[in-house]
Amino acid sequence: MSSLTMRPCGDFRTSYKQDNTIFETSTIRNIAIIAIALLCAAPYLVDAYYLTLFIQISYLGIAALGLNILVGYTGQISLGHGAFFGFGAFASAWMNVSFGIPVVFCIPLAGFLTMGVGMVFGLPASRIKGLYLAIATLAAQFILEDFFARADWFSGGSAGSSADPISLFGFAFDTDESFFYVALFALVFMYIWGCNLMRSREGRAFIAVRDHYLSAEIMGIKLNKYRLLSFGVSSFYAGIGGALYAHYLGYVSAEGFTLFMSIQFLAMIIIGGLGSVKGTLMGVVFMVFLPEVLEGGVGLMKMTEWGNIPMVVDGLAYIKEMAIGLVIILFLIFEPEGMAHRWAQIKNYWKFYPFSY
Amino acid sequence: MQHIAKLSSLFVCCALGMSTQVLAKDTVFVGHLADMSGPTAFVGKNYADGVRDSLAYINANGGIKGTTLEYETIDYAYKVPQAIASYKKWHSRKKMVAMQGWGTADTEALISFVAKDKVPVFSASYSGHLTDPTGKNPHTKKPAPYNFFYGASYSDACRGLVQWAAQDWQDKAGKGKPKFTHIGANHPFPNAPKEACAEYATELGFDVQPAVVVSMKPGDFKAQCLSLKSSGSNYGYIGNLGGSVLSLVKSCNTVGTDIQFMSNIWGGDKKIFSAAGEGIKDYVFPTMTPFWTDDVPGMKLVREISKQSDESGTEERVHHYIRGVCSTFFMKEAMEWAKDNGGITGENIKKGMYAHKNWVPKGLDGVCLAANWTDEDHRGINQVNIYKGNYNGGDITVEKVSQVTLDRRDDWLGY
Repeated sequence: MSSLTMRPCGDFRTSYKQDNTIFETSTIRNIAIIAIALLCAAPYLVDAYYLTLFIQISYLGIAALGLNILVGYTGQISLGHGAFFGFGAFASAWMNVSFGIPVVFCIPLAGFLTMGVGMVFGLPASRIKGLYLAIATLAAQFILEDFFARADWFSGGSAGSSADPISLFGFAFDTDESFFYVALFALVFMYIWGCNLMRSREGRAFIAVRDHYLSAEIMGIKLNKYRLLSFGVSSFYAGIGGALYAHYLGYVSAEGFTLFMSIQFLAMIIIGGLGSVKGTLMGVVFMVFLPEVLEGGVGLMKMTEWGNIPMVVDGLAYIKEMAIGLVIILFLIFEPEGMAHRWAQIKNYWKFYPFSY
Repeated sequence: MQHIAKLSSLFVCCALGMSTQVLAKDTVFVGHLADMSGPTAFVGKNYADGVRDSLAYINANGGIKGTTLEYETIDYAYKVPQAIASYKKWHSRKKMVAMQGWGTADTEALISFVAKDKVPVFSASYSGHLTDPTGKNPHTKKPAPYNFFYGASYSDACRGLVQWAAQDWQDKAGKGKPKFTHIGANHPFPNAPKEACAEYATELGFDVQPAVVVSMKPGDFKAQCLSLKSSGSNYGYIGNLGGSVLSLVKSCNTVGTDIQFMSNIWGGDKKIFSAAGEGIKDYVFPTMTPFWTDDVPGMKLVREISKQSDESGTEERVHHYIRGVCSTFFMKEAMEWAKDNGGITGENIKKGMYAHKNWVPKGLDGVCLAANWTDEDHRGINQVNIYKGNYNGGDITVEKVSQVTLDRRDDWLGY
């Protein structure tokens, strides 16, 4: 997928068409199409456990891409992404229950509502930056979290609110198998949209703002406009992700959208690679699978005779938690540019094999 | 080449880790979600031990009429995505028939899944809205037909405490209207009984003060205690648990508030009293079970169960542990009923929950309260035992002060 970072020497592009392509080569495009086609068959091949993990990857991945547009492409920061995710979830359920709008329309509408909220909280970005902005967006997290717990009319307060499954022409997507297709469609759609955005005028403006805001301004880019727009786009993605989450679970509780969730979104894009669309997806896959793989490790221990005693099992639970932290630290030390960078290196290694300089 | 070997071995490990074998014996699978390392681990560990020891004990003593329980405990650390993934894994691969759950987070996230998949869940989240299986009460946002819990709901327990407080105020010959304050974090768990309880308190003639917000995390709560002092609250309901309660009691002790604390079921046990120290004076809390040291016939079985993880039998369990035992044994007897009536499936276990009246699991007389579940009313228990704890300079005493039986009012169903 296209990236507007610096290109290696020898990589010449002679037409706008070449410069604007989403997929770098036709092989990559074909692989992507085949992969999606294969994924379409997944509900017939794998069980609900893998499907639910994929659905998780989908709604978290959409939200994480939003954050990457804000942090990785525009160079802003947000510590309130988890709350925006939650806002999208509640907004979609609220519109569906209160106004009877079909869920299919509620999801994009929830995205636009969240976009509005995100832009309000993004307003400080036009005046402050860096650590100060981080703290200003932290306020969004706390204000929204408190709002969820109090606003009975909107979120059902402490009782939470229920969300109907997505239904289209009388068919309800209420099983993992059927919701999988919704999740897959949403993921592909939003990621292509993300790629598209980055090769548009707005996308280039985002990157210019990130790389040097003063030069960008001199070139005629309205800083305030694009910073605010970036907050809007980022919240839109979070809202869509949250709405999918709500209609998948069928129930939204005010408890889940904590600061920890916001931090986890940041961790996903840092591990995956800031300013990379495919890196975002890699980071999300990594963060979703890591606890499951470690859980599986604990499960394997439990199967052995000596391992299935409470002391070992409880101990392993702590080890699991620590291991997640450890892996993140190791990533930051050995792969600070994220998985996308490592992927590029592996690709280059094979491209030049066996004559890598 | 080395890289590839490393990579492939990594993948093999992942694949191995994520796949699990299937056993072909006469077994049924029961999932167990616990929080032993997350934010509610303070009491979650005790409750989970109770459930796990009971499951092990049941297997060691013939299982469900010969059927072995296959079970797995997963410490989900109060994280919703992990709870969902574990649930899906159990449901799709192990054909789970019932689940022992834990807190608000996992229980509420799974309500619609378990209703669709017909898997009864026995949670330790006692939110009132889980008690309306058919959605009869217009307050109910989402009916929870497959959710059960052992104990009075948070709302009912708070109502019981308020009822006790009204009596206490009369006995003390207090003048005027007593003042009642809800103290807790602005979170689903402490807020669950807030409105229902305030309504009932108003009904009983209390002057309900604006709620005081106290964070779930331990901290310095002197400001909150000062506002309790200045409002002159007589009775305060504590909605939090663990370290937060400790901080609150200590801070208020320093400030010198004259308030009668009444906590929710998770906010009072010996562990807290010994840690909080001098501030614990006539601290009132509800329980659904007797204490470890009480002499009732059923405690013999509880002590046997405890030996599953503590062979010496010396560890003194808190009442949350015993509640875990009750929750598991109600499930066990419903499974036994199911086995006699068409086989152990989620649907039959649910029916089994309605099969008995004034139901106490065998061998746990005096430990578990008599329960009545019906297909329209999941308020199994409508009785609240009220206890009072005192620190006494280290010699902690816990005495029973009252027993309140609440009406099964229709407008209280699911609320």
